[in-house]
Amino acid sequence: MRRKPLAIWLALLALCGLIAARSSYRTDMGDFLPHSASLAQQVLAGQVNGGAASHIVLVAIKGAPTPVLATLSQSLATQLRQQPEFLDVLNGDEDSFKAVQNYVWTNRYLLSPQVSAAEFSTTGLHSALQSDLSLLGSELGMALGASLPSDPTGEIFPLTKQLASGPGPTTQNGAWVSADGTAALLLVHTKAAGFDLDSQQQALVEIRAQFAKARTASPGAGGAILEMSGPGVFAVTTRDTTKQDVSRLSMLALLGAAGLLAFAYRSPRVLLLGLLPIASGAFAAIAAVSLAFGFVHGITLGFGVTLIGESLDYAIYLFTQTGRGEQGSDTLSRIWPTLRLGALTSIAGFCAMLGSSFTGFAQLGLFSIAGLVAAAATTRFVLPNLMPQGFFAPGAEPLARPVQFLLRHKHGARAALVTAFLAAIIALLLHRGGMWDTNLLNLSPIPTAQQQLDNTLRRQLGVSDQRYFAVFKAPDEQRALQMSEALAPKLNALVTAQVLSGFDLPSAILPSDQTQRARQAALPEATTLQANFAAAVKGLPFNPQAFVPFFRDVAAQKSAPLLTQASLSPALALQFDSLLTRNGPDWVVIIPLHNVTNPAAITQAGISFVDLNQQSDRLLATFQNQAVTLAVAGSLAILLILGFGLRSIRRVAAIAAPLAIAVTITAALLTLGDAKLSIFMVAGFLLIIAIGSNYCLFFERSAPDQPRAAASIVLANLCTVAAYGLLSFSRIPVLHDIGLTVATGTFLSLICGAILSTPKAAA
Amino acid sequence: MISGLKLRRVFVVLCLLAASPAQAQTAWGLPQLMQSLAQTPSGSANFTERQTSPVLSAPLTSTGTLSFIAPNYLRKTTNAPAQEVFTLDHDQVTLTGGSGTHVFQINQDPRIAGMVEAIRSTLTGDLPTLQQYYTVTLSGDSSNWQLHLLPKGDALTRFLRAVTITGVANHITSIDTASADGSDSRMNITPADAP
Repeated sequence: MRRKPLAIWLALLALCGLIAARSSYRTDMGDFLPHSASLAQQVLAGQVNGGAASHIVLVAIKGAPTPVLATLSQSLATQLRQQPEFLDVLNGDEDSFKAVQNYVWTNRYLLSPQVSAAEFSTTGLHSALQSDLSLLGSELGMALGASLPSDPTGEIFPLTKQLASGPGPTTQNGAWVSADGTAALLLVHTKAAGFDLDSQQQALVEIRAQFAKARTASPGAGGAILEMSGPGVFAVTTRDTTKQDVSRLSMLALLGAAGLLAFAYRSPRVLLLGLLPIASGAFAAIAAVSLAFGFVHGITLGFGVTLIGESLDYAIYLFTQTGRGEQGSDTLSRIWPTLRLGALTSIAGFCAMLGSSFTGFAQLGLFSIAGLVAAAATTRFVLPNLMPQGFFAPGAEPLARPVQFLLRHKHGARAALVTAFLAAIIALLLHRGGMWDTNLLNLSPIPTAQQQLDNTLRRQLGVSDQRYFAVFKAPDEQRALQMSEALAPKLNALVTAQVLSGFDLPSAILPSDQTQRARQAALPEATTLQANFAAAVKGLPFNPQAFVPFFRDVAAQKSAPLLTQASLSPALALQFDSLLTRNGPDWVVIIPLHNVTNPAAITQAGISFVDLNQQSDRLLATFQNQAVTLAVAGSLAILLILGFGLRSIRRVAAIAAPLAIAVTITAALLTLGDAKLSIFMVAGFLLIIAIGSNYCLFFERSAPDQPRAAASIVLANLCTVAAYGLLSFSRIPVLHDIGLTVATGTFLSLICGAILSTPKAAA
Repeated sequence: MISGLKLRRVFVVLCLLAASPAQAQTAWGLPQLMQSLAQTPSGSANFTERQTSPVLSAPLTSTGTLSFIAPNYLRKTTNAPAQEVFTLDHDQVTLTGGSGTHVFQINQDPRIAGMVEAIRSTLTGDLPTLQQYYTVTLSGDSSNWQLHLLPKGDALTRFLRAVTITGVANHITSIDTASADGSDSRMNITPADAP
């Protein structure tokens, strides 16, 4: 009888461990978003996570005179270009643009929209040469001179303009610098995407190492410092912060809780046994989520364990309520109905989360449910068998004294509580200025200072976050490119009308095969071209012999193989991939629209576009609606379960009332402390109810002669407050929110439960 | 014309040799030239520019006016063969002509910055800026000097071979530009108020 449950438990634990070890873990925020998100949302989330933008590292070098900064920038760029971790290093020097310039120059007759049969006719060439002549005489003449023999039709100037997205920063001493000259600026594209944290970290370490080398080698650069920003930098910083916070805080929390438990139990073995329910619960939860969703989200993993913190209490109730000379299994039989109802109540609360369209929340719901079921089962079937014979917690009883004190002054306490409750309601009703956090960024774990640095660097480097995108679908790549080409005239008209300042088309980088063939067909044969040119040059002071490179290049590109994705340099390929991506069976074209002044005019032109700000606002609204729905549905489910379990409205009220009061006061305290409500706080409220309902259930069932029940609740609460209270010191908003909410709320639940749930006789 | 120029140079060298003790005392040199240029008031002038290039079978000649308001405004108006206006206002260049209007910041491109500073820094006597882009040497004397500018950076060198600015006292009389692709231009400048 003793062996069998142990064997089954060990087997299940091994199975769960196996599943957990083979699970795939993801950290993309995209996987946290609603699975019912629109095409635009999905694609944009994909862009944020794996698109070209996620490869960007923005670099600033500061703290030295401008010429020294430029030297540092130069040597850093030169070194980084030799490292395989980087696709592209732009610092404003000549090499920065070489790859793109070579590609455009070499393939100008396949890329240029102005290529047509008319352009290469005698008349077309004559007018091109005439305009060359007037340009030669102008100040642009110098710049034109070198390319004229190869490009008399002037393809390269508009092509370069089209591919250069806006003016870059100013160049001083051969490197990009900020307008005030205090920072040298670099734009680096890593080979690894932003979510590939290990590779990102390696790339960042490499940048720092090369910078340190350059600083040592450059005279007068001793005080120079390096600043970096970008999605990869954020992701790595977040991971480091999370690791530090979680390991430091959970170590402290563990020490605190272990100290309290050691005082109460005075048995190391029992102390360790107390961890079994939560550990088993975590394993089972990971396995369940992995089986149901195919992957486990990083947030689920980190946050889920805090949601099943309640299962630590199960062991505490069992160990602390075991009286002197009582068998562990007897205690369990006595408290099991209460414990079971408490666990079921929590599970009912978390069930509401299962229905969330946010995959992350659905995962958290399942995680909690599976974890609590496993933890309760471990407490029920495994712990009593492993408890030492004759164990009882010698240090527990004094812990009940504060509760006994409260119960002795029940009337005064009740009055104080009612006053606090009314004050809380008034505070909530009078609260103005929005209770909800309306900035999605506040959910982000990135410190404000770093967000500001990112904004500054993006503005200086001219790579601001895009707000507007034209988005459309196509059945295949070639169709997508043709549609992109068809859009060009419309968008150009909008640029002329000053509705927007520019746009990036995938077909500008790689025209469709159809268009490339049409351009090749428009280029004349070598003999025709030379004859046309000879006729065109008549009457103009040009030397036809000088234009041999032109004849050679046209002939070469007329018969060249068509350009494909393989022709693109890594940096261009990255940019192209961000403009044209696969989404399931479809190809999706995403065209950034720069500096839109009049969105309505874009719609009028028949172009469908996405406003990223609007999308994130919508997402936030969904977030809030779901949070409220979750809270209401969860509370109803809890009431329902309590009704089933207790079969008495009066008893249900004795449990529900203190919890409602505790949550209300907590919410009031949080808003008075100027905290804004986030969805994580709402999850925190659910957790208060889950944990607090156990307190109330035990208070409600405890006999007046059983100080051990009150002691077990106090001990459980002290551990909870210690653990979650420490979490509130975390720099990560999610952990801070949940920690503060739960620590405050469970403590209030203890007080309210003691005053309101304890049966009359106990007073 | 070229032989005339050579003769004149020989003459200048002879003068220099003859006058060397006196020169040593008054010590006329780059700093003094720059100082006198810096004191030059704003003004306007006519220009004739003659351009040769491997792509051209005959030289290209253009004429127009120049005006300068110290220290940051320069305008070049070409009247023939085609109407065109080039203005430099602080660091912004605006080019208006047959091909439309182009606006750029000189700092965006080291070549444009180099070209512009050769003229502007000379006009304002700003030697440090000039030396940022060029190795500067001086020949001649205060009544007839030549400022030789050899480009420094890679980008500029690949595009420009040399610039020679000739002047009399605190007036620039001609600007010779030799490009790396083999084209040359010579701009002769005469004060607008001269007879």
